[in-house]
Amino acid sequence: MFDPLQVTLKIGASGLEAQSKRMRVVSENLANAQSTGHTPGADPYTRKTISFESEFDEAMGASFVKVAGIGRNHSPYRVEYSPGHPAADAKGFVKLPNVDVLVEVADMREANRSYEANLQVIKQAREMISMTIDLLRSG
Amino acid sequence: MIDRINPLAAPVASPVETSPADLVRGAGATASPAAEGADFGAMLSSLASDAIGAVKKAETISLAGVRGDASVQQVVEAVMSAEQTLQSAIAIRDKVVSAYLEISRMSI
Amino acid sequence: MTPVHLFNVISQNNRWLAVRQATIAGNIANANTPGYKALDVEPFAAVMEQTRLTMAATNPAHMTSAGEVKQAAAVGTEQPWEITHSGNSVTLEQELIKAGDVNRAFKLNTSVLKAFHRMLLASAKV
Repeated sequence: MFDPLQVTLKIGASGLEAQSKRMRVVSENLANAQSTGHTPGADPYTRKTISFESEFDEAMGASFVKVAGIGRNHSPYRVEYSPGHPAADAKGFVKLPNVDVLVEVADMREANRSYEANLQVIKQAREMISMTIDLLRSG
Repeated sequence: MIDRINPLAAPVASPVETSPADLVRGAGATASPAAEGADFGAMLSSLASDAIGAVKKAETISLAGVRGDASVQQVVEAVMSAEQTLQSAIAIRDKVVSAYLEISRMSI
Repeated sequence: MTPVHLFNVISQNNRWLAVRQATIAGNIANANTPGYKALDVEPFAAVMEQTRLTMAATNPAHMTSAGEVKQAAAVGTEQPWEITHSGNSVTLEQELIKAGDVNRAFKLNTSVLKAFHRMLLASAKV
């Protein structure tokens, strides 16, 4: 029989990993919010998305989380008129990444919140384990 | 705790109002040395039953606490009071036993 | 005078609380997984009932062990505060509140256990 508290620690760890990958994707998007292509008419940076899926472990009876994959968001690119730009096409329009900074920042906040929640779970499970061990301590 | 154990000592105000302390003070105030024997025996037996009662009460309240029927405050108070009562009873028992042994060692 | 029954109940409760904490951890980890529904364990009273039935079946003359403890299983969905459009029904706040409750109950259990253990040892000392 698996120790449910140890399993809790593992679940929390999987949550931390998933959320930190999410934050990495968000920071990539933010860093490349202005990255255009190099040649005329080339596509700019495409916004990346991350998707999670739950993984139910039968043996331990617990649901872990893992990253299902990192995909691309195919919403239309923003277009700006800038004829002198190296990536400007024949009409002088430059395609800019489909990254909305506000959306990314909100996502980052959510990821942070989830990260903190997972951290809290780990902290509490650790506390419960040490309280149990403490029973043996005299006094 | 010595004042609680010695029935002849003047009762000193104690912050912990446990039943053995009350009994000891009561016995000290009313018993004369001659009648002390009867009171003492009664006091010891009620001491033991008080301690057992307090522990049982703490057990009941703890079970209720696990079910969610008792508040944390109640559980903690009951357990603390049981521990105090038990400790007093044990201390008195130890004193009584050592006193008895001392007396039995006295040469006639 | 030994409170064996109390020790059994508390130890069972702690095991149930640990399983509940694992379930809550699963909910929190999957807070952003689309289509994931929050799980919770069945109430402790139900687990106790099952154990009592099992214990009554054995010979009362036997030394009581912990008995066949029904492992608290993660049961279906609880009442979620909201369901997002991705089908996820986990609310972080609700889960964190539950986790706090579990922790508090666990702390109380271990403290009570420790106190009774101390009393037992003290009364057994010659």
